[in-house]
Amino acid sequence: MKKQLKFVVNGNPYDIWIEPRLLLVQVLRDELGLKGTHRACDEGCCCVCTVNIDGKAVKSCSVLAMQANGKEVTTIEGMKNGAELHPIQQAFVDNWAFQCGFCTSGQIMASNALLKENPTPTREEVQHAMDGHLCRCTGYNMINEAIRDAAGRLQAQKAQEKTK
Amino acid sequence: MKNIIFDFEYLAPKTLEEALTLLSQYDEDERKVIAGGQSLLIIMRQKLITPKYLIDIKGLTDLDYIKFDKKEGLKIGALTIHRAVEKSPVIQKEFSVLSEMEQNLSNVETRNWGTIGGDIAHSDPCGDPIPVLIALNARLKMTGLNGERIVDAEDFAVDFYETVLQHDELLTEIQVPILPPNTGVKFTKYNQIEGDLALASVAMSITLDENKKTCSDVRIGLGGVAPAPMRAKKAEDILKGKKITDALLVEAGQAASEEASPTTDIQASEEYRRELVKVLVKRVGSEALARAEKA
Amino acid sequence: MSEYSIIGKPTKNVDGPAKVSGEAVYTFDMTLPNMLYGKLLRSPYPHARIISIDTSEAEKLQGVKAVITGKDTPGGRYGLWRRFPELCDQTTLAMDKVRFIGDAVAAVAAVSTEIAEQALDFINVEYELLPAVFEPLEAIKDDAPLIHDDCSNNINITRHVEWGDVDEGFKNSDYVREDRFIYGNQATASTEVHNSLASYEKSTGRLTVWSSTQSPYYLQLGLSDALKMREGDIRVIKPHVGGGFGGKNSTMPDSLNAAVLSMKTGRPVKIVYNREEEFTCTERRTAMNMAVKLGLKKDGTIMAREVKLITDGGAYTALGPTALYLTGTYASLPYKIPNYRYDGLRAYTNKMWATSVRSFGATEAGFAFEAQMDRAAHDLGIDPIEIRRKNAMTPGYEAPGQYSVGSCGLSECIDKVEKRVKEKWTGLAEDEGVGYACFDYQCGGIFNWIDTPYAFSGAMVKVNIDGTVDLFTQASDIGQGTNTVSVMICAEELGVGIEDIRLHPADTATTPVDLGAWASRETMMNGNAIKEAAAEVKKILIRVARLKLAENIVYDFEAKNKRIYLAIRPERGFSYYDIVKDAIKENDGQALIGIGHYTPHRKGMVTPAWAFGCMASRVKVDREIGHVKVKEIIVAHDCGQPINPLGVRGQVEGSIHLGMGWGLCEEQPNDNGMILNPSFADYKVVRTRDMPQIELHEVLTYDPEGPFGAKESAEGAVAPTPASIANAIYQATGAEINSNTLKPEKVLNAIREAEKKKPAKR
Repeated sequence: MKKQLKFVVNGNPYDIWIEPRLLLVQVLRDELGLKGTHRACDEGCCCVCTVNIDGKAVKSCSVLAMQANGKEVTTIEGMKNGAELHPIQQAFVDNWAFQCGFCTSGQIMASNALLKENPTPTREEVQHAMDGHLCRCTGYNMINEAIRDAAGRLQAQKAQEKTK
Repeated sequence: MKNIIFDFEYLAPKTLEEALTLLSQYDEDERKVIAGGQSLLIIMRQKLITPKYLIDIKGLTDLDYIKFDKKEGLKIGALTIHRAVEKSPVIQKEFSVLSEMEQNLSNVETRNWGTIGGDIAHSDPCGDPIPVLIALNARLKMTGLNGERIVDAEDFAVDFYETVLQHDELLTEIQVPILPPNTGVKFTKYNQIEGDLALASVAMSITLDENKKTCSDVRIGLGGVAPAPMRAKKAEDILKGKKITDALLVEAGQAASEEASPTTDIQASEEYRRELVKVLVKRVGSEALARAEKA
Repeated sequence: MSEYSIIGKPTKNVDGPAKVSGEAVYTFDMTLPNMLYGKLLRSPYPHARIISIDTSEAEKLQGVKAVITGKDTPGGRYGLWRRFPELCDQTTLAMDKVRFIGDAVAAVAAVSTEIAEQALDFINVEYELLPAVFEPLEAIKDDAPLIHDDCSNNINITRHVEWGDVDEGFKNSDYVREDRFIYGNQATASTEVHNSLASYEKSTGRLTVWSSTQSPYYLQLGLSDALKMREGDIRVIKPHVGGGFGGKNSTMPDSLNAAVLSMKTGRPVKIVYNREEEFTCTERRTAMNMAVKLGLKKDGTIMAREVKLITDGGAYTALGPTALYLTGTYASLPYKIPNYRYDGLRAYTNKMWATSVRSFGATEAGFAFEAQMDRAAHDLGIDPIEIRRKNAMTPGYEAPGQYSVGSCGLSECIDKVEKRVKEKWTGLAEDEGVGYACFDYQCGGIFNWIDTPYAFSGAMVKVNIDGTVDLFTQASDIGQGTNTVSVMICAEELGVGIEDIRLHPADTATTPVDLGAWASRETMMNGNAIKEAAAEVKKILIRVARLKLAENIVYDFEAKNKRIYLAIRPERGFSYYDIVKDAIKENDGQALIGIGHYTPHRKGMVTPAWAFGCMASRVKVDREIGHVKVKEIIVAHDCGQPINPLGVRGQVEGSIHLGMGWGLCEEQPNDNGMILNPSFADYKVVRTRDMPQIELHEVLTYDPEGPFGAKESAEGAVAPTPASIANAIYQATGAEINSNTLKPEKVLNAIREAEKKKPAKR
């Protein structure tokens, strides 16, 4: 029996009826067509499917979609500002912080939550926060640098906005 | 990828009473309770369990709290997410070992949705919270329609993924008493990959007498080396009432490794896990002692 | 060499904006209208004859549109070693028997994945269990069960390599040691699972397949052979791919069965593996049992080396022989060996088959060689760096009848690492050790086991009236950055900007053949093809410019920074855009098209060029629990000329990460054919907190064979990583470990063994 799910995704309100067995990642990808969030494991071990729920980094494969009722979800598709890449996305591009790119959405969404919580993380703090993310391509260090570069850009952006 | 491919009826009670009523209404094999679901959803996706009814208690915000009282100690609602325990200023101040344990529990994403009560009720033999709660002399409150029961943390988990929770009860609160003066607590787990599930873990609480010379009380919790997290009482007996030295800690470690009943699996052998217990008891004891001396 | 405007400059990934915004499309993300979902039924037994399969109940289920078994498929045999038809030992579905747990026996297409999955439970297969064999040494015995009826003793393939006189060499050695090294099974574990989407058009008899593949061409060949179709009637398109690492070279049941189901239903069909299938029903790294004998003079000069190898091939051939062949080559590198002998054998076993995985052959051979060098150095009283320097490969070396070495910066790399270690790693803490390892890797392979009549790489450049460029190449970017390198090479050659080029990659219908991404071939081979294609167009542009300037015929022209100009007088020239317009006008209005190809010639049997390097790992060993912490790595690397330094760094660090996994924690324990840890929870990989800081130095040697002097950088740094870590453990504790992985329990046991022997502390 389908149940009603009302939530906001990337600023857009949705009111849909779904089978309660669906995982959040299934609703995002298959019902809403937001394919940018990927999946790589079946044991909640890789964080590739990470999105933000109310600003927090969460694995969308390990959330029953019904539990997102009333929540605000942000996916990778919600990061750009119109056609402009978010500073975190730009920092990833500038620092070669991805290779195959399949885990990248999850990395960026986790970074998004991290930098809101800790705007100036050290290398070790980034490692700790990103510990759950599995990447087979990069060796992680360039991702770490990109995140700290993004932190700097966001701080600069904030400072600029203050002076306006 | 694996999804939940069987249908179930989804129930989202709004109050604890409603939840408990649902629990008693349905047979234990027919229904399952979901809090954060960080472990449960995986099991359901593997089709290891196929409940007909899923009772979602994550919305019971009344069970999401951290309260501290200078006499009563710490009370954590079962539906508090791990991350809240990790980041709580009062926990970091008064029971830092809990926050330290949470920092290495799985990863941030799990901690942002999974609850400490859900984790404890799931009762993974390698789980981190229970050994720490054993060391802290914590107690767990279980609530049913007929009232509440309280058990010591060391008595809660009895076997692989089995607890003393009755079929119509929910774990509702974790109670941690104020630490006696001159007490130091430390937790360490070991796995080859940082932050991974423990191959073995040790939590120790050492209380020194008023002169800070001898150990007046000690509690040792072990994880990953028995069907359920356990208390190493023989090891405790070696340390209690004595001045703790490195040699004594080695002896205690030996005793603890003999008390434990680890198994051999693809990650490590029984012998190696015993070796880990030996070494970790020595190291954790040494750090707990240092903390007690500073306290 | 002249200053490049694009080559050698850090360049952002041309796929970057798409990948960071979730807009890059992977096969995993694709759907087509009217699409069905497929699932495969797999054998639960390692070896059994199929007596009967009853699909009638499954077919009755609502939502199920087709169920197929072996008899419903064209039944063609396929494989990668097509030069030897007997090695094409796979079929779309098991025909008469199953050979490993996970061998596909039936496939279902339904309106949803859930229904397809449920339908599997309704297919009844009657098996006759056969005795199975899991260890290669057991499998080659006379009384072992035959896995392939036409292959006696389960010997899949052998390889012999020899030069000089090995027995004389050992006779003339002052020091001889023999060791055995054993390597276990490992997974590639790409983040994107194997998945394919097939669409068959009944009206034209044409098939289109999108797949997460490393080689659209190899997939096209596999489909053609298995489905008995013309290659040209099969179009394979590679969207973005979420990693391969060697595990996506073979044609797999997902693409084959999606195709057959599409043919049967007339609808597109998509098959996506789950992670358990990915770990148990795809391809693994080849497990090896290697006996090595090394002879040296007392001053450390290598006299002879003999290697005897048996590999655990699993149920089918795939690219397994390549691992066997290449180990034979890599065991003779990166040090000079005057007398060498290698005998390798690949055995069939009833397990998931083994194939080529990143740095195949080099990692295994390197682990053994580097361990032996350290131990020999210790016994002979020679510094570990000195013994390597003494024997290091040099430019112009010839391995008789096998391969030649063009450029080689190994000595410079050794010098660089030694210098940096002395400067940086002063005062090692207790239980810290420094281990060295040298390495080498090829730039693609020469031996034509795929049996293609095509040039190994082809490319096409089309320049349009407004100067924009369409670049067509089948080269596979699977994350290593080939798309960016392709565009950079084309841009440099034509003298245009990255932004002027649109890449059309990896579509067998619209691009000339490229053999795909394996053995680090893309930059060398695809790069050369692109350079040639662009050079053809550049020739036209220069001809037009020359006519316009009416300059002395002896003067050269250059194309750079969007100008075509006189090299000797750069101010005399034209805008590239103007010349393009003129050229097209003069070409009767036809777009300017250049075609390039590359196949290595007169370069021996192995590879056209070799990259080299040296690595040092600083490691802390916890003697009480055997935990190994890699604190820092310093690596000097000769890839000729880095095309994109950002990409090169990414590849080296990625290689180090996989090398750490291979060395420290990635294992697939097997119990009677069953893989015991088919999930990331139990298959341990290195994560970010375990990664050390890496200091990378490039040594430029400019190999004339490579485009702009470039050689490989995608795989070389895998091998020295576990080797240098093991050597660091040896240096710190005396522990000798002759197998992977360096799990804490194993390290602890090895330390205790060493303590019993009480070696001198280094």
